[in-house]
Amino acid sequence: MATVTIRNVWKYYNQTPAVKDLNLTCPDGSFVSILGPSGCGKSSTMRMLAGLEHISAGDILFDDVRINDLAPKDRDVAMVFENYALYPHKTVFENIANPLRLRKASEATIKDRVNGAAKLLEISHLLDRRPSELSGGQKQRVAIGRAIVREPKLFLFDEPIAHLDAKLRAHMRGEIKHLQKTLGTTMIYVTHDQLEALSMADYIAVMHDGELQQWGTPSEIFNHPVNAWVAGFVGEPAMNFVTAEIRGGGDGVTLKHANFEIPLLASQVGKLNGAAQAGTARMGVRPDALTISMTRPDGPAITGVIFVNELLGGDMLVEVQLQDVRMRVKTSTDFAGKPGETCWLTVNREKWHVFDAGDGHAYF
Amino acid sequence: MSQTLSLSQTTLDAVDRFRARKVSVEVEARPLSAELPTPTSFNPAARKAYYFYLMAPAIALLAFISLYPFFWLIVMAFQKGDMGAVEWVGFKNFTDLASDGRFLSGWVLLFKYSAMCLFLQVGIGVLLAVIVNGSRYEKFLVTALLMPMMMAPAVAGLLWLFLYNGTFGWYHWIFQSLGILETGSILSSAKTSMYALVLVDVWQWTPLITLIALAGLKRVPRDQMEANMVDGASPARNFFAIVMPNLYPVLLIAVLLRFMDNFRFIDHILVLTGGGPANSTKILPIYLFEVAFKFFDLGRGAAIALVLLVVTIILGKILVGVFDRPTSGGR
Ligand SMILES: Nc1ncnc2c1ncn2[C@@H]1O[C@H](COP(=O)(O)OP(=O)(O)OP(=O)(O)O)[C@@H](O)[C@H]1O
Ligand SMILES: [Mg+2]
Repeated sequence: MATVTIRNVWKYYNQTPAVKDLNLTCPDGSFVSILGPSGCGKSSTMRMLAGLEHISAGDILFDDVRINDLAPKDRDVAMVFENYALYPHKTVFENIANPLRLRKASEATIKDRVNGAAKLLEISHLLDRRPSELSGGQKQRVAIGRAIVREPKLFLFDEPIAHLDAKLRAHMRGEIKHLQKTLGTTMIYVTHDQLEALSMADYIAVMHDGELQQWGTPSEIFNHPVNAWVAGFVGEPAMNFVTAEIRGGGDGVTLKHANFEIPLLASQVGKLNGAAQAGTARMGVRPDALTISMTRPDGPAITGVIFVNELLGGDMLVEVQLQDVRMRVKTSTDFAGKPGETCWLTVNREKWHVFDAGDGHAYF
Repeated sequence: MSQTLSLSQTTLDAVDRFRARKVSVEVEARPLSAELPTPTSFNPAARKAYYFYLMAPAIALLAFISLYPFFWLIVMAFQKGDMGAVEWVGFKNFTDLASDGRFLSGWVLLFKYSAMCLFLQVGIGVLLAVIVNGSRYEKFLVTALLMPMMMAPAVAGLLWLFLYNGTFGWYHWIFQSLGILETGSILSSAKTSMYALVLVDVWQWTPLITLIALAGLKRVPRDQMEANMVDGASPARNFFAIVMPNLYPVLLIAVLLRFMDNFRFIDHILVLTGGGPANSTKILPIYLFEVAFKFFDLGRGAAIALVLLVVTIILGKILVGVFDRPTSGGR
């Protein structure tokens, strides 16, 4: 168990920076998820934490002890590798037992722990096989097994369940979270699946292009994204963005677009700083903060034409064509609109966002 | 509405047709308790028949240039006399070998020689490979290492003849200065001559092992080494747990090559000692050379050659058996 502090850390591969000035503090016993798209430096961060990659600049501390120069074996971390990294000449049992053997655990302990881990991961029947005889998802579970047989200071999980089917993934999400909470071990969990991060983590670090975009609890990340990039990356289906003009009038400030003109709530007007008053901005609305109707509603609404309806099991996703963009709206499956028909969208203004048109930072 | 909004009627029709299509899914569930069907077809073995046709020309050529002489070797082993008058003697050539002291001591010396060579070459070769691998000067070092190997063995023998020379030889001077060598020259002392030959072989052929081991090191999966390190392995432990299993198959090839070479390459020995002094370096292939081409006892020479061949094959088989443990990928 440890508090992990990452302080001004950079990672360069030759001349290209993969991680830029990263600052994170993962509290003792917390479940931290690093979320970001492919190539944003997640694995590089993990590898620096594990001691597999040289830290180009900055410090990493476990419990206030600088560990930059510590060998991997002395860091007391357990890692699940993105590409499993199983030992092909060893059986599944021996793969999982390896960390215990290297730390000279007794034969009885090894048997006990390995069988326990295998049972938890539902791979008990595979213990005698070799990795070449396993499916991708099974390999992934063996890799998780190898990490959890021991009780290290820190868990590093690099996309550990990306190759499992949806049902098993949901199951494993629960198991991993439960395990982490039971052991109380600090966990850093890399994923590019925002649902995984939102559902499991205590804190999420959103990364993009090697830079930390936002650090916060899942609800902060989801409800109060600091910029348009985070807002667009988190949430499924993704947030709708519409570029609109900010108009300051006698009766308040409105967002004006060819298809709508919607006033800001009184509490939101103050959050727009003076510079943005007269320019353009990007409006961001999640599909579930919109209500669609086939008749003109009271109050301000967006006018559009239905482009296509998609049935998503319990919900219906309607794509609505505006003049320059399409917006997606979540509605119930009994929605009767047909493609080509005109419709109206009402925005839940408690839940909408306005971002700067230039650097994309959020006003609210 | 602006133009972008109007969807063409055909598209809309297509969407309607798509929505209206009748989808019938009829899945008959198999009761869980039902007996599993027995497989009727198994994964087919790779088709290999065409291999034969591809290899046939090479096999024919090989048969002509190598099987024909081999056949004559066997015939000769059962004959006595030289080219002119021959006489069939049955197994006499073979039975005579049992009481031939030179033949038996030839074996002992051959094994001693080969064992020393292999041990040193594999040890030093792998060590060098580890040092060279990933070094900043890797390319240069590999080129430099290649040089001894490029030399004809007889020329290498001549080179070392100079180096070992009792009056101006460099090594002679070093060993004497170090007090290892007391009197006489390196090659003319029965105590040191064998080691002198081993040194030449090691000098010339360790680079081959290094090259092969280097190729092996390149394919050691990095991720496994990293996983093992995070699991808590020290670098030494990592080397034996991850690197060595991946190195075994290539080392097998190297050892096999070198051991067979030791059994037949005698160029440098002929140049340096010719089997002397006092037969201290008369390993079996040298003795074979003497019997066949100095004394022209072709029958006996052929018999020795055949025995040597059979032993080489058996040892080769054993070696493959020892090394052919399950490694990466396989079971
Ligand atoms: N060994 C390396 N040498 C050079 N560049 C590298 C190396 N490893 C990673 N990179 C680069 O660094 C950047 C970050 O890579 P990293 O593996 O950390 O991404 P990631 O966030 O883990 O992506 P993914 O989700 O695809 O695994 C990428 O642009 C990648 O091309
Ligand atoms: Mg990665």
